Amino acid sequence: MKSLLAALAMTTALTLPGLAMARPVTLTTTLNSYGGDGAYLVLFVTDATGAYAGSLWMAGGKSKYYEHLTDWHRVTNGDTAQVDGITGASVGAGRTLEITLDLADALFDAGYTLHIDAAVEDMRDSPNEVAVPLTTEGAGVPVAGRRYIASFAYDM
Amino acid sequence: MKKTLTLLVASTALTAVIGTTGWSAMATAPNAIQRPLTTLYEDGAKSLPVILASDDDGDDDDENHGARRDHGDDDHDEDCEDDDDDDDCIGGAPDPATAGTAAPPQNGLFGNGAPPQAQVN
Repeated sequence: MKSLLAALAMTTALTLPGLAMARPVTLTTTLNSYGGDGAYLVLFVTDATGAYAGSLWMAGGKSKYYEHLTDWHRVTNGDTAQVDGITGASVGAGRTLEITLDLADALFDAGYTLHIDAAVEDMRDSPNEVAVPLTTEGAGVPVAGRRYIASFAYDM
Repeated sequence: MKKTLTLLVASTALTAVIGTTGWSAMATAPNAIQRPLTTLYEDGAKSLPVILASDDDGDDDDENHGARRDHGDDDHDEDCEDDDDDDDCIGGAPDPATAGTAAPPQNGLFGNGAPPQAQVN
């Protein structure tokens, strides 16, 4: 009986952190009406030292245009495997992209920064269009972009 | 009488030679003994194959079975379908797998919960 209780306590202790290690996070990006074709956007994360940690989403499926997402392309060398399974369509001017991801808790309040690079055909590239620290306090607070992005916010 | 007998033997021999040669030519060579008699015909048949005016029919139609659809088709590579410079795709990085067709990368950022979802409003 005693060993059964010990086993139950052990499995509960191992299971609960696993359930709490990630949470659904909604990333909402609204574009300006800049009067051009659909924008390519990439959302990626750097750690506290500024090193590339990974990609969260790629809006735009043609890898030949990724070189225009200059910051992302520089840190990944254009490696499309970085965005396998997290790639969708480009986003039209004035539209809102809403992404829901199951993100690790460790990303928040740990010095990570979310970056967005943007590019539009025949228009200027816009690296680091948005750079926002990932904190629980910053959730739900809209941030304006530099050129193509009217606002960006993440909600938990 | 002797002369008649000689003529009969000669004609029989001649008939036998001609008949044997013709029969050998018609038949396949079952062994090496008859081979010299059939060589003339068989070698001729081997060295003169039937040549079609065009050999482009039939034998190469199934070369692409099991291969990618864009090999040999008139349409463009689907990975590079675009209305502008398709040749940019040649030798370039492959397009990434779209969401829902592959798991997110194992970069430590994603949990094991619901797969990524996106919508454009």
